[in-house]
Amino acid sequence: MNRGQYIAILLVIVAGGALLAVNLLSNDDQTTATQVSQPPTTADTQGPDPAPIEAAPIEAPPILDDSPGNLTDLDGWLQTDATEFAAFDGQVRVVQFWTFSCINCKRTLPNLIALYEKFQPQGLEVIGVHSPEFDFEKDPLAIQKAADELGVVWPIAIDSNKTNFRSWQPGSRFWPRTFVLDQNGKVRFDHIGEGAYDELNATVEHLIENGP
Amino acid sequence: MIPLLLEGLESALLPCSLILLIPGAAAALAARQESRSALVGFATGSIGFAWLRFSDRGGDLSTGVVALLLAAAVVLLAIPVIRRLNVVTGAGGLLAGVAAGVLWEPCVSTEFGHLLADLPTAGASGLGLLVIYMSGVLAPLLVVGAVMHLVPRPALIIARPVMLVLGGGVLAVLAMSTAAGFTDNLIGQLVEWSIT
Repeated sequence: MNRGQYIAILLVIVAGGALLAVNLLSNDDQTTATQVSQPPTTADTQGPDPAPIEAAPIEAPPILDDSPGNLTDLDGWLQTDATEFAAFDGQVRVVQFWTFSCINCKRTLPNLIALYEKFQPQGLEVIGVHSPEFDFEKDPLAIQKAADELGVVWPIAIDSNKTNFRSWQPGSRFWPRTFVLDQNGKVRFDHIGEGAYDELNATVEHLIENGP
Repeated sequence: MIPLLLEGLESALLPCSLILLIPGAAAALAARQESRSALVGFATGSIGFAWLRFSDRGGDLSTGVVALLLAAAVVLLAIPVIRRLNVVTGAGGLLAGVAAGVLWEPCVSTEFGHLLADLPTAGASGLGLLVIYMSGVLAPLLVVGAVMHLVPRPALIIARPVMLVLGGGVLAVLAMSTAAGFTDNLIGQLVEWSIT
């Protein structure tokens, strides 16, 4: 490649960067416009509007995994008196693997906060399994501070060695990853990354209202 | 496809992608004037192994093997006597790319999440979409390659030893930290420094 071609590539990258900046700025605008009715979040929790928790009833979500999941070898819990995952047996559980410096994790929080507010009184429990990517995310005080800032009020399982992050995601591992376990502990929803809020909300609503 | 590319570009700015970008930039530096071959090899290795892993087709290597791949990349890229041919440089980049593709644990956005859900059954079209996403993630390496090509030749000659030591050194440190199991800590320290 000659210099002209490289300059052309650079121009394409600059144009892509400009597009990205426009995309990010438009996300900022949407967030600003919708935050009036949202629970408190930090400026960089730029998730989309929480999906309306009025999803139409759906067919029973399929059982994706028969074997009940468990959380083991944890480094402790925050925001709960529970000391083991079994303390939540019998409840519909949203189990989300996240870490507080992950922007994609933060963007899922507005929907999760709204979902928790609506269904926690009816038996939903959300368990945030904090699996840090980096050392500085392992400090429980830092996790608690981030949870306070982000509006995370549900129990947090501290998985600093990522034991559960790996055992729940054999093979490839991702942040965030969200599971829904029914009252019998069977996996009824599994989603990698942001999005799928309607499906998540509908699954929880169905399990709460109709049982497993 | 555009949203996927944009998400890839955005992901390039996130700490989750450093494990791809640091060895890629190091390979380009170590390869010096043959950085193009190293980058093509790196992109091929990282995308190929990411596709194998994320589509459940294999590609999960032990950390010992990954450390050996990185060490071999140092030998191929940074030892002048060996690194004479473009194909050798490309192979060095490929090995570094495979290692990075195995170590990468991505933070996942919306479109990329949909792609990951489809990858095991999508076949070649899934690979094509992954190439689009990772073109965004790896875009900073294009800038590195372009800048290295635009640097005036005399300056490049003066800077060669520095680039060799820097690029080879970073890959060697990554190899050792992977073997010792603290790559996450190393990258995390870099992230912490960059934040503070």
